[in-house]
Amino acid sequence: MATKKEEREFEKERKKAIKERYARMKKEGLEKYFTPDQIRYNRNRRIIGAVWPVFRALILFGLGFVIMYPLLFMLSTAFRPNEQMNDPSIVWLPKSFTLDNIKQTAQVMKFDTFSPSILSNTIVNTIVLNVVASVLQVVTCSITGYGFARFKFKGRNVLFAIVILMIIVPPQITTIPLYLQFAYFKLFGIIPIYSGATGPDGNPELVSLINSGLTMYLPALFANGIKAGLFIYIFRQFFRGLPKELEDAAYLDGCGPFETYVKIMIPNAKTSFLTVFLFSIVWYWNDFYVSSSFFTENNTVALMLKNLDAALQQQLFDGQTVSIRQIIVWLESGCLLSITPLLIMYTFLQKYFVEGVERSGLTGM
Amino acid sequence: MAELEKTTEATEAQSTTPAAAPEKHKGLNIPYEKRKALYGYGFIALWFFGSIYFFILPLIQSLIYSFHQTKIVTGGMEMSNPGFKNYYNAFRKDQYYVPALTAMIKDTLLNTPLIIVFSVFIAVILNQKFKGRTAARAIFFLPVIIATGPVIDIINGNMSTGGYAGGSEQFSTMFETNLVDDLLNFLGIYNISDRLTTIISELTADIMNLVWKCGIQIILFLSALQGIPYSAKEAASMEGATSWEYFWKITVPYISPMLIAALVYTIVDSFVDPSNDVMTLVLNQSKQWEHGYSAALAWAYFAIVGAILAIVLAIINRFVYYEVE
Repeated sequence: MATKKEEREFEKERKKAIKERYARMKKEGLEKYFTPDQIRYNRNRRIIGAVWPVFRALILFGLGFVIMYPLLFMLSTAFRPNEQMNDPSIVWLPKSFTLDNIKQTAQVMKFDTFSPSILSNTIVNTIVLNVVASVLQVVTCSITGYGFARFKFKGRNVLFAIVILMIIVPPQITTIPLYLQFAYFKLFGIIPIYSGATGPDGNPELVSLINSGLTMYLPALFANGIKAGLFIYIFRQFFRGLPKELEDAAYLDGCGPFETYVKIMIPNAKTSFLTVFLFSIVWYWNDFYVSSSFFTENNTVALMLKNLDAALQQQLFDGQTVSIRQIIVWLESGCLLSITPLLIMYTFLQKYFVEGVERSGLTGM
Repeated sequence: MAELEKTTEATEAQSTTPAAAPEKHKGLNIPYEKRKALYGYGFIALWFFGSIYFFILPLIQSLIYSFHQTKIVTGGMEMSNPGFKNYYNAFRKDQYYVPALTAMIKDTLLNTPLIIVFSVFIAVILNQKFKGRTAARAIFFLPVIIATGPVIDIINGNMSTGGYAGGSEQFSTMFETNLVDDLLNFLGIYNISDRLTTIISELTADIMNLVWKCGIQIILFLSALQGIPYSAKEAASMEGATSWEYFWKITVPYISPMLIAALVYTIVDSFVDPSNDVMTLVLNQSKQWEHGYSAALAWAYFAIVGAILAIVLAIINRFVYYEVE
């Protein structure tokens, strides 16, 4: 196999040679070499080759602009003094810049509180929640995916159908029963744990996991976190794509299946792991449905942003109702604040989002 | 080696049937295949028990709720009046459910082909070689990391507002300039016919949503496009295929398996989107503590979408080309 660089050079040489030959043939008269059909075909190709790049650049630029528009608007608004929102002479560039919006929004979203504990800071709390849940989820989903990919056992197809069902069934269907399971938590669903307090009806109260991070960690630990079905699917596809000889060699050398998985498969699946981990982080970061069902006092960035509207009115406008025009600068600051960590991550790891998925075996669907 | 011996001992203890354990077989009592199967169960055990507790049980529970009148009491849910009453109410008495359902289905059926075609188009472009491709890809995948969160709600202006502002007022300033009308005016085709103008402006107003919903699908198709072997491309150009023919005869068959994945993803995505009308109804009902009714709405919706998904897949599956049978 030639390296990429060499291939590029070959391509260049080939194109040059074709061009030269074509010029030579044109001098002698093309009819001698080609049928009229071929001449027409070549001419069309040349025209398309000249026009298409321009057309493509236009399309990409236009659609890219549509995608970037909200972000540009966010940037333009977040640093704009509120008074200049109603100035018709300002479209993109405000007359002066201010950091007040950002500061005030950060305060409302509790980005700068560190008391009573460091976890009351929204950003720290969210990062801790996300990273722990994602790590657990990636590990357990990969183990499950490997089990489905490489072992034959009775009922595998039925069990895998459950994985597919996990992808298709929306979380909204299972949330309420799950809420009750968490609110009156019993170990393995059988053994009751009592919190020590007595409830209103005189019976001892069961431990409630609501508002605790465990509502995120426990499902993730058992490969049932947010979008776990999809991740199991991705890992299964990926492991199925790896050559079987890898494992056979390990087995011959005396590795047990789990050892083989840890020592042989994980190093091979590094990119896949990173991709799933990144997506998991993104989905946990953006999730507000599941967390809003299980958290009433546990602040995550997504929940804060969802309630930013109400919080702003209460804290900046003394509880008056205001129209969206009056608070748009703070809302957009909030958006900017909450996606900045993701954007930073994306800029540095963009390659793994894109190429990771390409190589992670999704192709084999 | 120690590992192997240990596992042998462990499996020895498990084998109970004498047939599986011939006495003079050098220690390996359980056939290799069976042993591997046991390991398979071991690998998926964690997920299996987890999904029983965190997925199957809640799923069955919510199905049971949907057939009852429910009331939350300490320690769980109190159920009464079993029967199909919730479903009957949903379809015969609820004035919002059926219209929301039909609108939703119509929307999904209209948008899905658009999204698919659009993402195939973009994926083909992003697969070509040109300067700045990495940057272009980075921009087109940006929605993947943003569009699933609450940020998109603020961008689209449909925040939860506590009912103080009209819908039109909520639209953030970004949609105020009516570029489309200007463009139509400029081209001199504004108001040639009202219907045409409405269709065009509806389409263009939706472009934003369209582009923002395509991230994952573009990635899926791009990965499929990368899987097209170079030999196929070479053969096509030898035979003198035009780009158009190449697209239909080579590209489409090769990416057709991914079509299913993209279709399922698109339909499911629009189905579970918390901001769609039916989901809003479901969530509102459960906010009003009508959990039984809410579950019934969700299950009916789920059944209908499942049926649509099955039909679509059955049709599409006939046109999918698999290279390896």
